[in-house]
Amino acid sequence: MKQSLSALIAIFVSIAMASGSAAAEPPTHLAMAQAAIETYVIPHIDALKAAAVPLPAAVDNVCKSGSPEAQTALEKAFANVVVAYAGVDFLRFGPMLEKGRREQISFWPDPRGFVARQLRLILLNKNENVAEPGMLAKQSAAVQGLPALEVLIHDKDVPLGPTEPARFRCLFAHAIAENIVRLTSEVADGWEKPGGWRDKMLHPGPDNDTYKSGSESAVEIVKALLVGLSLTGDLQLKPQVDHKIRLTPPYAKSGLQKAFYAASVAGLHQLYNSLRLEDYLKPDLAWMKGWAQGTWRTIQSTDGVGGRSPEAKRPDTPSTREVFDRMNGLRNIVANRLSVAAGLTVGFNELDGD
Amino acid sequence: MAIDRRSLLLGTLAFVGTGPIGKAFASATHHDVAYVATARRSSGDFCIVLLKADGSIVREIALSARGHDVAYHRPSGRVVVFARRPGTFAVAFELGRNTPPHIFTGGEGRHYYGHGGFSQDGRLLYASENDIAGERGVIGIYDVGRGYRKIGEHSSYGIGPHEIMLLADGKTIAVGNGGIDTVPDAWRAKLNLETMQPSLVFVDAESGKLIANHAMTGEFKSLSVRHVTQDKAGLIWFGGQWEGSPSETPQLVGSAGPDRELRLVDAPGGGKDLRGYIGAMAVSNDGRFIAASAPKAGHVLYVDSESGKVVGKSTLKDVCGISSEGKQDFAASSGFGVIRYETAMASTISEHQLQDIAFDNHLRRIA
Repeated sequence: MKQSLSALIAIFVSIAMASGSAAAEPPTHLAMAQAAIETYVIPHIDALKAAAVPLPAAVDNVCKSGSPEAQTALEKAFANVVVAYAGVDFLRFGPMLEKGRREQISFWPDPRGFVARQLRLILLNKNENVAEPGMLAKQSAAVQGLPALEVLIHDKDVPLGPTEPARFRCLFAHAIAENIVRLTSEVADGWEKPGGWRDKMLHPGPDNDTYKSGSESAVEIVKALLVGLSLTGDLQLKPQVDHKIRLTPPYAKSGLQKAFYAASVAGLHQLYNSLRLEDYLKPDLAWMKGWAQGTWRTIQSTDGVGGRSPEAKRPDTPSTREVFDRMNGLRNIVANRLSVAAGLTVGFNELDGD
Repeated sequence: MAIDRRSLLLGTLAFVGTGPIGKAFASATHHDVAYVATARRSSGDFCIVLLKADGSIVREIALSARGHDVAYHRPSGRVVVFARRPGTFAVAFELGRNTPPHIFTGGEGRHYYGHGGFSQDGRLLYASENDIAGERGVIGIYDVGRGYRKIGEHSSYGIGPHEIMLLADGKTIAVGNGGIDTVPDAWRAKLNLETMQPSLVFVDAESGKLIANHAMTGEFKSLSVRHVTQDKAGLIWFGGQWEGSPSETPQLVGSAGPDRELRLVDAPGGGKDLRGYIGAMAVSNDGRFIAASAPKAGHVLYVDSESGKVVGKSTLKDVCGISSEGKQDFAASSGFGVIRYETAMASTISEHQLQDIAFDNHLRRIA
């Protein structure tokens, strides 16, 4: 009995030592930024660009044939772009911020109904010049991207197809699709070209006009993570917790709100993992790692609209209230504990001032 | 947590909405108070803090959500703290009286932008607000003596009025119209960046008539005018936040008057060096030096209002709150709990580090 107990203890000790020795050395701040950029940002920016490419042809097919198959293919192509976009929506710096590209790709939230208002005017005027190459970029951001295209794809009164009432709509839908290809391509190019944003973040220093140190590059990524948690919590979950809030979920006309939520939180989780912030935790704060993992499980166990996610790993389905609270808690932990443990100072005022 | 417990002993009143009132609220002497600011505890809770000059906390008032700026009427000791955009509450209290805080709102269909100010006689309070359905900015007018009852509104002559300031003449209100539309249902999302029309306007406080309008146009159309202060010559100095392409960031600090055109300060490194963002403005007590804090860059820029030239630039991580101190010096507060006194030439006089507290955007001088 004694022998087996000793053997058991020895096994536990060896497991503990093994996990101790396997504990990864925390990455440098520059390495954190590099990992996030190489394993998350660039692949997701590329995925968005790739998802957008088939969109103009998918629009054209519907407009030529009007067939249900072509409509289904267009809806699938559109969904692919929306899901890909959800993975980069929170990267609101660099090429996405430049020239207002983010609003042009995805004008949401839209509580004032700008998309419908602006689109109505354009459809009323039927000015074909607006659909000429390059001309759409001069119009309101509200009609340049995915939400306007969504309206045209799902308008039951005048569906896209080879009909006279749909002729201008098809021209305009094609122009939007091409514009989305252009914008997503510009974002990718802005990141990846020599001297682009990837180089800027990975070569910080006194002569760099944006990032003076690897810490500043890493802080930019942490801020994006925090922005993403805020956006998902405040704009996707909060309206369901506080029923006084009236805000249409993202891409609800296409039934993509669940897919948008799933892609948002999956992306945020991946970005979080890429940073390896938890590697900096001292043993007395190691509980945070478990808490964070449990929180990610909770966040990803809901479909974002009160139901259960197909990917749920929690045995029960968490309430939206719990998910919302957990997301806020995670935001606080990342901003005030994990980033501090990692020696990254994300300022209260710089993060979200007014 | 230690700070929390100490604050409780010193006389904290915690309230969420209209919670119970504690006797201890007025136990601290108001003569000790040098500054009022909003802040966040490491627990994530928001509060108002009343500070001594050495940075120690005299009193703490819990808030149910994040606050922003502080209006102060020196003769009466009245203080009002406004919710941050798009919040809807304001909290009023008096430094020298044993009265509980009073909570009021801008009414149905309005939210605050976080700023306001008292009339010189202290009978009226003005607040920058959003007429949400009307998609227009307004200056809410409140009767202080009747429990901050709202008695009227003036137009702000723009969207998104941010800091408003009653000028030294007691008759004119300067308004920084940020130009940005916000709807509380979409939380803090900026809804109209491509069509924003920021401006610095001057409004007659009594009649509400427009006196002057300096609109940001052309290459400056995305420069959101946010914070204002007035120098000894009567000019208004403003600090802007750039909402356009970062690569095109212009200068962010400038001045104008009802009868004088708008001019931007030629700061070395330009607005890009300040990360396109000014978080607060202040003037020295003698009215000569202007301070503009840039929290994203971690700098305070100092300008001599007589020459219009930059005379100093200090560095403090996440600095935002800025207020006058002495004749020509300033106090700056940071999101990392630092209160620093420095000259307009950016020399540090002293620095105090508080634990467990992040100072929010604004710091208001009381004594």
